[in-house]
Amino acid sequence: MNLEPLIEALMEGHRERALKETKSLLQQRVERSHIVVKGVEAAMERLEAKCTIEQFNLLEIMLSGRAVTAVMKELYPQEAPLRKTKGTVVLATLEGDVHDLGKNIFKMVITTSGYRVMDCGKDCPLEFLVEAVSRENPLAAGVSGLISNVVPAVRAVRSAFHERGLSNVRIMAGGAVLKQMSPEELCVDFVAQNSFDGLKYLDGITGERR
Amino acid sequence: MNSLERILGAVHFHPPQRVPVIAQVFGHAAVLEKIGLDAYLRNGELLARCQLRALEHYGYDAVFALMDVGVETEALGSVLSYSPFRYPAVTSYAFAKGIPEIPVVPDPDHAGRMPELLKTAKILRKEVGNQILVVGCVLGPMTLAIQLMGPESALFLGVDDPEKFSLLLDFAADVAIRFGVRQLEAGVHLLMIFEPSASPDVIPPALYREFVLPRQQRIFRAFKQAGSLANWLHTAGPVLRILPYYPQAGVDIANIDYCVDPAEAMRILPTTCLNGNIRPTSFVVSDPETIAAESAHLLKLFEKPGGFILSSGCEIPPESKPENIAAMVGAIRKGG
Repeated sequence: MNLEPLIEALMEGHRERALKETKSLLQQRVERSHIVVKGVEAAMERLEAKCTIEQFNLLEIMLSGRAVTAVMKELYPQEAPLRKTKGTVVLATLEGDVHDLGKNIFKMVITTSGYRVMDCGKDCPLEFLVEAVSRENPLAAGVSGLISNVVPAVRAVRSAFHERGLSNVRIMAGGAVLKQMSPEELCVDFVAQNSFDGLKYLDGITGERR
Repeated sequence: MNSLERILGAVHFHPPQRVPVIAQVFGHAAVLEKIGLDAYLRNGELLARCQLRALEHYGYDAVFALMDVGVETEALGSVLSYSPFRYPAVTSYAFAKGIPEIPVVPDPDHAGRMPELLKTAKILRKEVGNQILVVGCVLGPMTLAIQLMGPESALFLGVDDPEKFSLLLDFAADVAIRFGVRQLEAGVHLLMIFEPSASPDVIPPALYREFVLPRQQRIFRAFKQAGSLANWLHTAGPVLRILPYYPQAGVDIANIDYCVDPAEAMRILPTTCLNGNIRPTSFVVSDPETIAAESAHLLKLFEKPGGFILSSGCEIPPESKPENIAAMVGAIRKGG
């Protein structure tokens, strides 16, 4: 079965065409899980290859994200697909920053790739993040930041985790301001330059090969 | 040669007595005076007083009549939340439910905090005259569109309904022109278009070229006609792919962020004055020696071609260490 037209539509962020291709595949009795793995995930992998640090832009990722969301709703109108997850990731934009577009895009990228996300939202107090991590036992916690006043909160994450016996949880950071800084400066394990850079890091932790 | 002459000299590639230095000190001026950002950003007189104290403290070449990215959208009906510790954030977008059929350009003498900003411009110009550069600021059309609708709605509009998006950008350009011209009348020497949302890491360069560039061109033309001494474009992020369009836009000073190779920027824009590009967060986490070394490197790089203003790549964060800012200014005195 040719899933290339769907992949192309998703990569171009063409929601209507992606939906049309999906409906056509369903009519041809293609398995939903096959469409997800060979269509949606394949498109995201190609998008990742295309989105180098120099070529990345939010709008194109947002358009693809919107198309992917529409396709997934078409495939599973009632509930999320029952797929084995690669692991849980807790995300937050910490207290002091209310810009969460970057976090939401990262969430879309890693969800599509098979991670389960617990989203703590924006302007999130550190205690709330610690509680969520303690409850969810994730493989990583991700914090995003667009403005510099969030830096002290990011730097405090590791010691807060340590105090609660959560030292094994990896901490990753991203966003316009945080990506200017090194992991050492932020006291985190990894600083992602964009969403796919973050995805690669997660896949590295889980031992996934993409 | 005074600061203003020095900066205009850099714009015109005249050999400098020393390279000008503009620390992009905005909210940091409030922190330096131990004043909350919420007070600083809503009181034109206080803002001017803090800018003048920061100028006195550091001795750089320009002051800013500049508040935050919420000024225009608030004047158009958006609701902002203020805090002493951070810049205001939009809690309710003016155009969240759609663009009004005939949107009205706000009157800078009456709308929101615009009159306070005009007050700042007047005070600063009265105090520094033509010795120090007084910079005014308007939001670029793409950035204002996002501030009016919210990022997702505005960005998707550009793809889903290009005609309506064009009208929105035209309106945003009208807002910028009216506000900017009034700032010039109030005393600023030149205007900066602050346009971080037109960065290639937000929108593709083709969208910049087709939608944003013509509006920036119109705004800068109007500013020049109204007496702006130079046009300054401030786009954060990896701008190399849109730099070739800057001359067409009418840019005289191009801000380059920390992630841009300055030599490459210079190659693309050989006759445009560049300002930059020390990493902004270095002023928070780094030390004076590192800042001085980075400054010296930039001064060396631009020694021959000229057309350079030493600066941070973007705003110097409010919570920056004063000794780091002093190190950048000091580097000029040592080597510029």
